[in-house]
Amino acid sequence: MLARKGDQRAFAELVELYKDKIFHLAYRMLNNRHEAEDVVQDTFLRVYKNLERYDENQKFSTWIYRIGTNLCIDRLRKRKPTYSLDAEMNDQEGIDGYAMIPSEDRTPETEYMLSETQQMIRQAIDSLPAKYKTVMVLRYMQELSLQEISDVLDMPVTTIKTRVHRGREFLRKKLERKL
Amino acid sequence: MDCKQALSLMHDYMDNELAPNQVLLLKEHFAVCPACTERYDQLERTEMMLFGIKTQRIEPMADFVTANIMASLPKKTKQRVWLRWVKNHPAITVAAMFVMVMFISALSFWNQDRELMVKGPDLDKLIIEGDKVIVPKGHVVAGDLTVQNGQAEVYGEVNGNLTVIEGSMNLASTAHISGQVTKIDEAMSWLWYRITHMFSGVAYN
Ligand SMILES: [Zn+2]
Repeated sequence: MLARKGDQRAFAELVELYKDKIFHLAYRMLNNRHEAEDVVQDTFLRVYKNLERYDENQKFSTWIYRIGTNLCIDRLRKRKPTYSLDAEMNDQEGIDGYAMIPSEDRTPETEYMLSETQQMIRQAIDSLPAKYKTVMVLRYMQELSLQEISDVLDMPVTTIKTRVHRGREFLRKKLERKL
Repeated sequence: MDCKQALSLMHDYMDNELAPNQVLLLKEHFAVCPACTERYDQLERTEMMLFGIKTQRIEPMADFVTANIMASLPKKTKQRVWLRWVKNHPAITVAAMFVMVMFISALSFWNQDRELMVKGPDLDKLIIEGDKVIVPKGHVVAGDLTVQNGQAEVYGEVNGNLTVIEGSMNLASTAHISGQVTKIDEAMSWLWYRITHMFSGVAYN
């Protein structure tokens, strides 16, 4: 890998290749543009600083996804107290379908583009606890396989499977009225 | 099969991880259990909605974000090499500083100093005409001769090195130089010459 040798141009290509993927991941995880952009920047900074530590036996995409995902999880944890999915869900589905879109994203364009259903899904995903949100975003929005998610998060596939199952159930209940 | 088991199989099925014989068992359960059929239907639609989100366009990041990424990268290679260098070679670093100071002062000196300068023994035996320094035929310079900013013409002998700095040299067929003949034109090599030779010349106007 050329970028490892500190070649700035090679690194710029790496940024071009992965910035959108990481941005989408972060945007889906955090539901906030500015924070997502910060995560993209932090991700590449970490990649750059740790290039010597990158194990070439590992897929580069796995490695960069891991860094990006961890940065998102850190932000989610700082943002609000986590609650257990096992506990009964608090059905605060005040679906005016609006409140959950962060205000800075509330441009006429997004309002127009997002149907009520889409807004509901976004809200439902946003209400997932971080560990479930992570696997659901990686699975459905990044279309990673269970094995790939297990590699990214460095967790057994069985754990990932359980989380996907629970995440699906959680969302099913949230969206029940719309299904 | 009970409904709890069926639910577990539904999820495995959605993950594409269900063996064909188990798929059959699940379908048999669906046939007799409307609740599970409904549940599976809901799960499938949930999944469709999730995949559907992916097709939603996200406004791309502003270009300046990419520029910022590149700009924010630490200039680590240079910095590290320098620091490591200082750490491992403190004495050499001091020497390097010294050379640098020398270099700067020598350079400015080199730029200013355009006067003829001759260094060597028995200078009064040489002929100086303008910027021309002549070692006459039959004369023996008993040591090194250095000419700066002038033309050296040698007809006699030099028992040592002849060095011409920023000038020209003309060696007659009768000339004999026992040591090295060096012509220095560039500031850089002159600098090294100055560092290795301590120079106190006699100036002629
Ligand atoms: Zn059943």
